[in-house]
Amino acid sequence: MKIALVGQPNSGKSTLFNAVAGYRSLTSNFAGTTVEYTHGQARVGGAVLELVDLPGLYSLTPTSPVEATSREFLLAGSWDVIVNVVDASQLARSLELTLELLDLEAPLVVCLNMMDEAARKGMTIDSRALGTTLGVSVVEAIAARGRGIIETFRTAQGVGAAGSNRPRAFVYAPDAEVVIKQLAEKITSFSSSSASPETVNAASRAASSAASIAVAEAGVAAAPVFPPARFQALQWVQSDPRQIRREEPAIALVLEWGQAEIALRAGQPADAAISAARHAACLTLFERVARVARPRADWREQLDRLVMHPVWGYAVLLAVFLGFFRLVFDVGKLAEGRILAVFEALVALLAQHMNPQGALFAGVKGAVLGTAGAVAIVLPYLVPFLVGLAILEDIGYLSRVGYLMDAAMHRLGLHGTATLPVLVGYGCSVPAVMATRILTSRRDRFITAFLAVLVPCSARMTVIFALVGFYLGANYALGIYALNLLVVAVAGHLLARIWPEISPGMLMEVPAYRVPAPRVVALKTWWRLREFVVVAFPLLVVGSVVLSLVDFYGWQHGINTALSPLTALLGLPRSVGLTLIFGVLRKELSLLMLMQALGTTHVLGAMTAAQILIFTLFVTFYLPCMATLASMMRELGWRLTLAASGALLALAMVISLAARGAFFLF
Amino acid sequence: MRYTANFDSPINLYEAGDHARLRILLITGGWEVRRSFNQMGIHPGDRVRVLRRAPFGGPLEIDNRGTHVAVSKQLAQKIRVELLP
Repeated sequence: MKIALVGQPNSGKSTLFNAVAGYRSLTSNFAGTTVEYTHGQARVGGAVLELVDLPGLYSLTPTSPVEATSREFLLAGSWDVIVNVVDASQLARSLELTLELLDLEAPLVVCLNMMDEAARKGMTIDSRALGTTLGVSVVEAIAARGRGIIETFRTAQGVGAAGSNRPRAFVYAPDAEVVIKQLAEKITSFSSSSASPETVNAASRAASSAASIAVAEAGVAAAPVFPPARFQALQWVQSDPRQIRREEPAIALVLEWGQAEIALRAGQPADAAISAARHAACLTLFERVARVARPRADWREQLDRLVMHPVWGYAVLLAVFLGFFRLVFDVGKLAEGRILAVFEALVALLAQHMNPQGALFAGVKGAVLGTAGAVAIVLPYLVPFLVGLAILEDIGYLSRVGYLMDAAMHRLGLHGTATLPVLVGYGCSVPAVMATRILTSRRDRFITAFLAVLVPCSARMTVIFALVGFYLGANYALGIYALNLLVVAVAGHLLARIWPEISPGMLMEVPAYRVPAPRVVALKTWWRLREFVVVAFPLLVVGSVVLSLVDFYGWQHGINTALSPLTALLGLPRSVGLTLIFGVLRKELSLLMLMQALGTTHVLGAMTAAQILIFTLFVTFYLPCMATLASMMRELGWRLTLAASGALLALAMVISLAARGAFFLF
Repeated sequence: MRYTANFDSPINLYEAGDHARLRILLITGGWEVRRSFNQMGIHPGDRVRVLRRAPFGGPLEIDNRGTHVAVSKQLAQKIRVELLP
């Protein structure tokens, strides 16, 4: 039996899911999208249940691609029961989605989660009365403490097995109902007469299902139709007229008639009228089933007074992120050396048992060192980072960061929610790119990822400080950081011009602080880590083997010659050509390679001050490392990754050439 | 629900003072703006309270029946409100 978990964001869906589905559950992308969902199996009461945890959505009329995909999945109907997870402490608002789900007229169970939170807010909810009014089973739960979880899935199983337990659709104002009924009929008769080609588009799929109603009415077949024609009519009445005209020109006329008819009767646009009717119904329902007493005094209100304060809020933000980075990188550094030592011992051991002069040894050595590099990034840095990120996310702090930083991020053409990935970029570009996933629009993801990659990560920081800082002075190093900030600001500005914003600004729920569930944090970390391992590990190992073989066969001269136009243009010594390639594979090795290439640890003897500065500028701005590129491919697709890489290369060229010109002139 | 908005109301949500108690009269702007607010459970007729605002033209935080929502300046300016006593 397949159970779909549906709920608004922050309703605790994932807690419910993770409580029964284990580490073997998978995250997958919906076909043809970058939207993820989690699915897995659970054994409840002897039966094996298939669970699908859909991304949170506020309503079935989508405003973001994530919501659109969740909706597509629901409308495809490849599930047996819906479990609607509801945050009981936000009952009135959450019921709006529940009413929409009722319109699907499909087996539904409502899980009233976070009952403890509701009690703290002084709410008492009569779940039985709620169930009778809605005509569905309602189960109370506190998923974070493991209460009501088994009951929820047992009930869902029962409802799904019965199959016949279909709730009635919610009835709107009589005025609107008349139009919806007429519209549903028109859609039915319309689509049976037109032969619209099958597309993945939800609307046309619905049209074809509406066509099958017509068939059913003609007496050819009598299978139940999904989604119901009434539901489709409702969805269309609420949809954006411009979008309908663009995507479904054939029905636009009928639909505009319907929308105008409702608007005329209701005195407001059709979508607003339907939504308002639902809203009013929810408030009435809420009054009937819930009593609200005085809420208990809550320390969390006090905390927000500090955390979201116009002055102290920023101090807290700074402290949190500095502390976070320190923790991650201090822990990382400690562990990194030890891990690398183990692998170096392994190489030494291999050297004893193999011919150290053979090509095979060179290849194996490359593979071992590549694995070492990957392990030394993943275990010490990425694991604590991802754990910390999941904790900050689950506490609810990230929304507060979005609130505080919205004004500043607007100057970069982004919203406050994009702050985190850019800040993370100062640590490591890989998790920064992965963190762009929290953004809903593809445009915002691209711009954020681009800026996050542009910010010098800790590996580039070593180059900046060890080369420029050491040989030219700390002021030059800080100057590079200042220049970088300027470039980030200009790039953000330009990108926002090139790809103008469609979303109308930030409207974001600020959830109540919550204690993160360790199991959820662990699972989130594990899934994100697994993705990195699958994508980046092979690349790092293969890259390392290739470099090892280049070194073995003495191909570096060929490569340096091939790159000589670039190095000559930048006015750099020919021998640093290979270093630039190395920088793409493993940023943290750039410095080491430079010293190897020049054959000295005293760089100033082999390069002039100008050359050092130009080299560092180029390395700071040009392509990100292989692992980052792999994550970008994963999050943005190859087209945008390619575009970003081209832009970064061009940017690095312009900046380095400008620096060379400046040195030439002054 | 028929709702007669007071179009003479001179203020939008962004102009309302901190801690002000307000009633939402009208959500102007296109389909998308209306839709985003409606999704968050914010409709004309709702009573909301401004909790705080971020500096430098940042967003407002409002309380709508216990749900806290951050609203950016641009969006807040699209909401007409009336002050409640």
